[in-house]
Amino acid sequence: MGELREFNVIVAGVGGQGILFTTNVIARAALKVGMNFVQSEIHGLSQRYGSIRTELRIGSDVHSPLILEGTLDLLIGMEPLETLRHAPYVSERTTIVMSDHIIPPTAAYLSRSRIPSLEEILEDLKSLRPKRLAVVDAYGLAERAGDYITANVVILGAAQATEALPFSNEVLRSAVDELSPPRYRDLNLRAYDLGREAVSLPR
Amino acid sequence: MGDLLAPPNTLEVLLGNEAIARGALEGGLNVAAAYPGTPSTEIGEALSVAAKKLGIYFEWSSNEKVAAEVAIGAAWSGLRSMTMMKHVGFNVAADAIFTLTYAGLTGAMVIVSADDPHCHSSQNEQDNRHYSEAAGLPMLEPSNVQEAKDFTKEAMELSYRYKIPFMIRTTTRVNHQRGPVKLGEITAKPSVGTFEPPEPDRYLQVGAIARKHHIELLKKLRDIQEISGNYARIEGPQDAEIGIVTSGVSYAHVKDALRLSGLEARVLKLGMTFPLPERTIGDFLRSVNTAFIVEELDPFLELRIRAIAKDHAPDLEILGKLTGHMPQFHEYTVRTVLEGLSKAFGVKSPIDFAEIDRRSLSIASKVPPRPPILCPACPHRSAGYALRRAAGRAVFMGDIGCYALLFQPPFKVEHVTHAMGSSIGIANGVSLSTHQDVIALIGDSTFFHAGIPALINAVHNRRKMTVVIMDNRTTAMTGHQSHPGVPYDAIGREAPSVDLEALVKAIGANYVKVVDPFDHKETEKAFREALKSEGVSVVITRRECALLTVRNLRAQGRRIIPYKVNPERCTYCRVCINTFACPAFIDKGSSVEIDPAVCFGCGACVQICPYEAIEPQDGSLNWKEEGLGV
Repeated sequence: MGELREFNVIVAGVGGQGILFTTNVIARAALKVGMNFVQSEIHGLSQRYGSIRTELRIGSDVHSPLILEGTLDLLIGMEPLETLRHAPYVSERTTIVMSDHIIPPTAAYLSRSRIPSLEEILEDLKSLRPKRLAVVDAYGLAERAGDYITANVVILGAAQATEALPFSNEVLRSAVDELSPPRYRDLNLRAYDLGREAVSLPR
Repeated sequence: MGDLLAPPNTLEVLLGNEAIARGALEGGLNVAAAYPGTPSTEIGEALSVAAKKLGIYFEWSSNEKVAAEVAIGAAWSGLRSMTMMKHVGFNVAADAIFTLTYAGLTGAMVIVSADDPHCHSSQNEQDNRHYSEAAGLPMLEPSNVQEAKDFTKEAMELSYRYKIPFMIRTTTRVNHQRGPVKLGEITAKPSVGTFEPPEPDRYLQVGAIARKHHIELLKKLRDIQEISGNYARIEGPQDAEIGIVTSGVSYAHVKDALRLSGLEARVLKLGMTFPLPERTIGDFLRSVNTAFIVEELDPFLELRIRAIAKDHAPDLEILGKLTGHMPQFHEYTVRTVLEGLSKAFGVKSPIDFAEIDRRSLSIASKVPPRPPILCPACPHRSAGYALRRAAGRAVFMGDIGCYALLFQPPFKVEHVTHAMGSSIGIANGVSLSTHQDVIALIGDSTFFHAGIPALINAVHNRRKMTVVIMDNRTTAMTGHQSHPGVPYDAIGREAPSVDLEALVKAIGANYVKVVDPFDHKETEKAFREALKSEGVSVVITRRECALLTVRNLRAQGRRIIPYKVNPERCTYCRVCINTFACPAFIDKGSSVEIDPAVCFGCGACVQICPYEAIEPQDGSLNWKEEGLGV
């Protein structure tokens, strides 16, 4: 692999969806192949079922922990509304890998705000002309793997299958293996493989 | 002692501290609270005498922070208050004061910091002028006894006018100076106020609200005072005409922005920002034609650099926040720096931000906001539900923890989120200043951290208020750290746990009850009884943080089976969403469903549904019935 100068990932979703774990796996993969990275995340109260995103920048030319609009390479959307919220980051260089399961914000119910449908969200995302948009039944596959809580790993597998990430399947899979708590290891690896199979290759 | 209550227009010989007390009385003081400390003590002693004669309120509080909170509670009830302390006492009170400048006031409040150069009776020579700047706290510095009186009165009036606390900073030689003072009219009198925030979220300093208030504070401060900011490594081409001065994370943004813009610049990266390396900065400034200052938040560096430039490079053009090239609020990004550079030097960013904004902002703006919300199965939700029913008309002092989220609909049982332990501290001030029912909400960890002195204060000073200790057996908000109330320590060893109930009883609370918040009826009843009881009442709502309960269940290999809405029974009354607001509820337009991917299967919502439509599925647990998480 030639020298990678800059690769930017955002993982977006709702607090509690395992966003930090997902990002940590990618960062671990970077570490395993000796790439420089800088990661930025949110902790504490702000993660309580609110909008969450982590930013990860990989490569020799990255300094700022925050990603610049228009320079995003991969948007991992754990939830469709949270994916759409990151529209300003999406450009022709962006691959989007997204769960199809909408988790409506309770605050929107209370304020009676309109919640866009999945179809509308997809249309809006397509209008931004991303390099690729892959939609995954993350929760369905996670349940097949054995537990809803692995939906994040399903998406990670799917993201790998799009070949948007600068890592081989082996590297990323072993990062999942290393970071999973022992009792979730097999479950997570099953989820990862199911996610990977869900995105057909070649595109 | 001079006669503090001597008639107006007479000359009275007063100690500097007595003059400060007199100035407060002339400024219309209603409530004062302090913890003694040389060289400030005589202010309180003088006020204790005056309070007795005038019928106004003075107390020696249990510490400086509680004293400040008592004064805050009074100033938030529309009264005029004062708190005073020695310089190191300010360190104790600072947590409450920093947030207060964001929040502002409805009444007025003066904070006296008595510094002690030469350590006459102190352990250090701390200069509290730094606090004024750091907290955005406007400051007056009297130089003699007359000014001590006049400035204090002035500060009270300025505080009332600008709705921001004012600081009187003195030193030992002012506090303990004695001389003739020309007196003015005493306007201090006993008064009852009303706790009524000017806007519903005025005293709730959480994320989005605090950010907004910070901008407002800046606006306020521009009218009143200057602010300032602060860094040594030089990079880039020797002959570059543009010099960028930066530090911290801004340095990283600058590095990326320079690469992207292709702009030639030298970068001075300051590592130690105090004291500032004047010669390094001076030499750097002399080597460039324009200095561009990049730093987040206050222009701390920029002002000092201008001051330094006066001596080293007086004709140098210096650009930054003060020239409108860089924003003075919120976090910086590479974009912020690129836009600043383009404003200043006309360089074109390789990324067309206007185009990005044009095509994407309308799309992103369709997404409804998703503020943080209490987790599924969170015991605070149940406690908030019961509080709303039992005490909807009370005023609620909240604190720092997950339960701060109870300020949101549908619960709305927080009018205040201020600083660690401040709920009980400010409740002290509000309850003595109003006739309203006052409830203080505080988490177990926060109570141990900073709630105990305030509770002691409430009992000793005969407050009438209800304290709800929301005991979720951990420090949840920061990720489940241990605290003195749990039987294990930070590294997981067995540790003695402090018994909350016994502690609260020993402090002397009049009514103490422990309830499981998942029992909504029992919890509601306890709140009603507590409100009816005399003196200080305490309700401990005890149930483990749901994230821990779920983690333990999973560790035991138990599956989380969600609850389900029976569509035959659901009438789409929306009582579940409108009063309980669990994130697992999904509004389907004509019915409500439970999202199995979100539901933790606690069963707490079963009691909420008036039509008994919420049911377990095969294998669902009932946390309360099975004694899980208690």
